Amino acid sequence: MSSLETLLKEYTCPSGIWDEMCDEGAIRNHYQKLVSTFQQLDVPALQQKDLLAGELFMNQGITFTVYSDNKGIERIFPFDIIPRIITGKEWDIVERGIKQRLKALNLFLKDVYNDQQIVKENIIPANLVASCPHYLREVHGIKVPHDIYVHISGIDLIRGDDGNFYILEDNLRTPSGVSYMLENREVTKRIFPDIFAASNVRVINDYPLKLYNILLQLASTHISNPTVVLLTPGIYNSAYYEHSFLARQMGVSLVEGRDLVVDDHKVYMKTTNGLEQVHVIYRRIDDEYLDPLVFNPKSVLGVPGIMSAYRKGNVAIVNAIGNGVADDKAVYAYVPAMIKYYLNEEPILQNVNTYELSEPDARAYVFENIHRMVVKRTNQSGGYGMVMGNAISEEEWQKAKAEIEKDPRSFIAQPIIKLSTVPCFINGRFTPRHVDFRPYALCGPDGVEIVPGGLTRVALKEGSLVVNSSQGGGSKDTWIVDL
Amino acid sequence: MLSRTADSLFWLSRYMERTDGLLRATSSHYILSLDSMVMGNMTWRSVLEVFTTLPNDEIATLEHNSFATLHALLTDVNSQSSLKVIVTRARENARGAQDHITKEVWEEVNALYHLLNQSNISDRQGEQDVIKMMLLFTQHSLLYTGVADVTMPRGLGWSFMNLGKFIERCLEILVLVDKHYEAINYNLNEENVIIQWKELLFSLSGYELHLKTYRGSRYNRNVLHQVLFNEDFPHSVLYSLSRIQKYLEDVVTEHHSPGSAELTRRFGALWSKVKYTDPTDIKSDNLKPFLESTKQDLLQFSTRLGQNFFSYQ
Repeated sequence: MSSLETLLKEYTCPSGIWDEMCDEGAIRNHYQKLVSTFQQLDVPALQQKDLLAGELFMNQGITFTVYSDNKGIERIFPFDIIPRIITGKEWDIVERGIKQRLKALNLFLKDVYNDQQIVKENIIPANLVASCPHYLREVHGIKVPHDIYVHISGIDLIRGDDGNFYILEDNLRTPSGVSYMLENREVTKRIFPDIFAASNVRVINDYPLKLYNILLQLASTHISNPTVVLLTPGIYNSAYYEHSFLARQMGVSLVEGRDLVVDDHKVYMKTTNGLEQVHVIYRRIDDEYLDPLVFNPKSVLGVPGIMSAYRKGNVAIVNAIGNGVADDKAVYAYVPAMIKYYLNEEPILQNVNTYELSEPDARAYVFENIHRMVVKRTNQSGGYGMVMGNAISEEEWQKAKAEIEKDPRSFIAQPIIKLSTVPCFINGRFTPRHVDFRPYALCGPDGVEIVPGGLTRVALKEGSLVVNSSQGGGSKDTWIVDL
Repeated sequence: MLSRTADSLFWLSRYMERTDGLLRATSSHYILSLDSMVMGNMTWRSVLEVFTTLPNDEIATLEHNSFATLHALLTDVNSQSSLKVIVTRARENARGAQDHITKEVWEEVNALYHLLNQSNISDRQGEQDVIKMMLLFTQHSLLYTGVADVTMPRGLGWSFMNLGKFIERCLEILVLVDKHYEAINYNLNEENVIIQWKELLFSLSGYELHLKTYRGSRYNRNVLHQVLFNEDFPHSVLYSLSRIQKYLEDVVTEHHSPGSAELTRRFGALWSKVKYTDPTDIKSDNLKPFLESTKQDLLQFSTRLGQNFFSYQ
């Protein structure tokens, strides 16, 4: 039987890639404590912990739904028990970078739905904004509380081979995963209580309360005891677990579209005691399905007339409607320019180089170098519609190419970046897997707050760079430690 | 409370109570059927008639086959009334009201669901551990009841849960009693031996109480008294109705409306009918109509309860 010490020695850091634990064979300083504790454990003990973690997730129903999986609709989100560690110093840079970015993105949204100065001054091409499917003319000129559009965001970061964090994409509509971040931490505390207690890890578990306080502040000031609800598409939605988790943690009602009704430009929920007015809605339904009278008329998930209440300011909707224009993957390329334009600052966190395929030159370059590129749809998330140029067959590429040429505005390309790796405990061995990192930021009248941590998503397949849960990805707890 | 949430809590409880009833009745019947000396010509017909909606010809093909019957009652996903489907529905309702139930309650429902969805569950019915399997399910069902009692906050949600639970329980008792007395042509004057009442009493967890409480050999009457009028017996009709009355009062106190007043009045009539019936007035010729009218009144009450509080569509 091999001891954990032997297994750790066998761990091979991939060359040319930043490994979070190892630096040319040596254990990085911030992983020392974890590694030395592991050396005192044996493999069966760790396997037992792995098993326990699986049971905890299963019994709590911490699952998500995969739409393209015919085998069944529910799956446990795979969890790797070895925590990822980031130093407090590195985190402080990430935190400042995200705050700066969100400040600029909020200003952009206010601008683009009002005066459009940034477009008039040609910082961002007008046709890029106008052609964005998530740019909604219906919300033009609507005043939102405290001029905040992005209240809740999940910014995806990756660490390049130089050890720096880069922004991969902005999620400003209904970012999910925060419940996994919180539950991962709870499970880690259960399976590694001693190591956790000794590691000086920053606290994340006040996220739901912080969120609730922000939601309360968004109601009109003349309402003394506002009613806040969380609007979910229902129990079959892939992220339903998260919706119910957050509602329970905040102590607010979890409503579906059919529970709400609009009367005289006010939103009410149907209770056993009759109708009760709702003042703030944290919606987890996409814009398109929110109001069948304004957007998709076939939507049965939304609330007819809710836009009229929103327009009148009788209900606050979080995140604001129309945010999709700011996290469009083609608009992403212009965020550094936004930061410069609105804040007159240099971006703290850099973007990944992005090619807009609507530009003929960029398109030709990407087509020539497709084996080094990843092509993404500008309006898709979850890893759907993604082309990994290094893994695609010629036939598949020709098909994808034809699709791109038909509608180039809907695609961008980025060079394939070798994401950093972390040790994972898979099949009784420590083995490196690629990861990204999604911290969650909250923006309220008092500014931006980011809980020190986030969701580390892991590409569990060996060599894979796709971390999305819908594409075989898992997650692990992320510790921000002060050494 | 959201109407939809109240509805989900009500049905979560109904399905979990049905789970408990189905498991008790099935395991009691199975264990008794092993004793051929006592139950020589026993078939699964009565259980299938009470707990499934299968047509008569299908029941006829199943009633002598224990393993096929157990499959139909417990794990058949095509049957709308099998344990697996009932627990799946309970879980769906629990999910729909997840923000109103405690984490512990959710975990219990979820654990039972996963237990029933283990890939080898159907195979185990054909083996000797069928009793062990049913016992395990029953333990989970009991655990759910205990966990709900210990962790759920008292309030509207708890009241709707209990309304669902006791409506389901009362209906189940009425149907089971009817089925067992039908087998003896509702003859209350004859003195069947206690062994013939074992199945009903075991199905309602009342055998020990019967032995302790009732003396004499007038089993047909004594058992009837216990399952209909004994207020100390938690699986009697009167006990269930008294609990419904208590939780209805709790709900109505917080909902003053003409609909609530009408609901209280109608339920009061039903409760009084059972409470103030002299057990000696129940005769062989009026037992069936009594059971039937009580069941119909309760079903009507349940429908009105839904219309009054759960009409959110």
